[in-house]
Amino acid sequence: MTEQQIIDLINSSLVEEFELDPASMSPDANIYEDLGLDSLDTVDMVIVLEGAFKFKIREEEEIREIRTLGDIYRFVNGKSHQIKRK
Amino acid sequence: MIYDQVVIGSGISGLVAATILAQYGHRVALVEQAPVLAPVLRGFSRQGIYYDTGFHYSGGLGDGEVLDVLFRYLGIAEKIEKYSFAADRFDTFRDVETQEEFHFPIGREALRDRLSTAFPQEREGIDKYLAMVREACQAIPYLNLDLEFGQVKSPLGVHGPSLGEVLDQLIGNTALKGLLSMHSLLYGVPPDQVPFFLHASVAGLYYESVHGLKGGGLSLVQAFEQRLDELGVDVFLGQAAQKFSFAANGTLAGVTMADGEVVACRNCVATVHPQVVLDLVPSELLRPVYRRRLENLEETVSAIMLYAACETPSPLLQGSNLFLGRLGRPLEGLGCGALEERPIYMAGTAPDDKGPGARGFVAICPAEQDCTSRWSGSSLGKRPAEYLRFKEETMERMQCHIERSCPELRGTFKVSAGATPLTIRDFSANPAGGLYGVKHRVGQYNPMARTRVPGLFLAGQAVVAPGVLGGALSGFLTCGQMLGQDQLLERVKACS
Repeated sequence: MTEQQIIDLINSSLVEEFELDPASMSPDANIYEDLGLDSLDTVDMVIVLEGAFKFKIREEEEIREIRTLGDIYRFVNGKSHQIKRK
Repeated sequence: MIYDQVVIGSGISGLVAATILAQYGHRVALVEQAPVLAPVLRGFSRQGIYYDTGFHYSGGLGDGEVLDVLFRYLGIAEKIEKYSFAADRFDTFRDVETQEEFHFPIGREALRDRLSTAFPQEREGIDKYLAMVREACQAIPYLNLDLEFGQVKSPLGVHGPSLGEVLDQLIGNTALKGLLSMHSLLYGVPPDQVPFFLHASVAGLYYESVHGLKGGGLSLVQAFEQRLDELGVDVFLGQAAQKFSFAANGTLAGVTMADGEVVACRNCVATVHPQVVLDLVPSELLRPVYRRRLENLEETVSAIMLYAACETPSPLLQGSNLFLGRLGRPLEGLGCGALEERPIYMAGTAPDDKGPGARGFVAICPAEQDCTSRWSGSSLGKRPAEYLRFKEETMERMQCHIERSCPELRGTFKVSAGATPLTIRDFSANPAGGLYGVKHRVGQYNPMARTRVPGLFLAGQAVVAPGVLGGALSGFLTCGQMLGQDQLLERVKACS
């Protein structure tokens, strides 16, 4: 999967599962302030990403640090590189 | 009248939540669709014998232990009478083929000694297992009131390890693994799925103290009824909540009941099954992903239950439960295979003013829902003849299973009632029909107390853990989220 494909899949999954506006999906969008997620949505964000990319997410600290969509892209990219290396 | 709080569902978590909120001075309404409070915890009577359906025994009730302290805070500790199970055998495991038995003693040291004597080769693994159980219980803030709630990293155990993984790592002997996972019948999730944390929080407390209640679960319901009355909680019986209604500004305005009446409120604690929560909330108020998560939560195994009256009080089940199974054959899937091959949990009826002996017992055998799904369109008291034949035949098979496994009971008891997965579904108002509601399993994210709907909170076994202990703690934890955890915790601890 290319980086662009990863970004597209993250955007389309979050738009669908959280009913977000596709136009607001830019890398610097703050998921809390701009996209309207709150701390209650963190678990569901993990579930959406696990479902879309078929991996398990156990990095609770890293997830808590996520602020922007770009942070999510970097996190998922990092995970898929790790998986490839294994 | 606008209530500060409406609590939906009067199982143990609803009773606890209503009591705490009322003790804080809130105007509270408690809504229950059955004609009586807490139908499952309340149990039932046949021919003068009282049978428990929701409560059989509990950990955490020893003086100063978590449930005892909570009950003191709730003002019900003095209204109930607890008794200790037999110190040398609160639970007995019996191998149905060899009749070999293992008796679980109360107390971690006593248990360690007995396990080590029975399995000397496994001494090291036993020590490690018991240390891990203790460590897990110490790390769970709702079991260890000395921890700060801020330290909660929920959901506990979702990343594993499972009980099965821990046992595989520590113990080689299959019979010992079977013994240590026997308590999975008490939460309805097989060892390869259940988080070790959840197992430890249930079994670990039994390793410390084991209590029953004189008069059984009914005495607990009556204590709460009295307490709710003292606190001026309004109880609405015999009507199901249908929908939440909202004010124009989006805040919660009330709960619409089956007859169309609206119980106006500012906040609500829903203690019903997560599937029922979804029926109550307009779908646009929840994220599609959250909705799907609640829809797809896996359900615990269901059961076949047989209630029997004993001719003379049976010493076998006095202050002790009996687990029937096969040593060395691991529990898999719990409800799979022929009924005769499955494990059974048996508990004597609670002592009453007629004496300490068990005048009756319940035998619970795990069963998959699909054994009765053909008749799922029918309701309590209105079942088709074919179902009634199935039930009768199933009770005969249960009776044979029990008599073969417990020869000393042969001819000494009469079946007085039975239950199937359908009975459980309808009796406990759980559309999914599991014995313990939603599963707690590795990889499954159960709902938390807070929701996206302002003013709506969840409690119940799906949120924390099953049983009277799990449900009571869930009511307490959800109230903590609503009222301020630190202050509530201080008030509860002041009662220890």
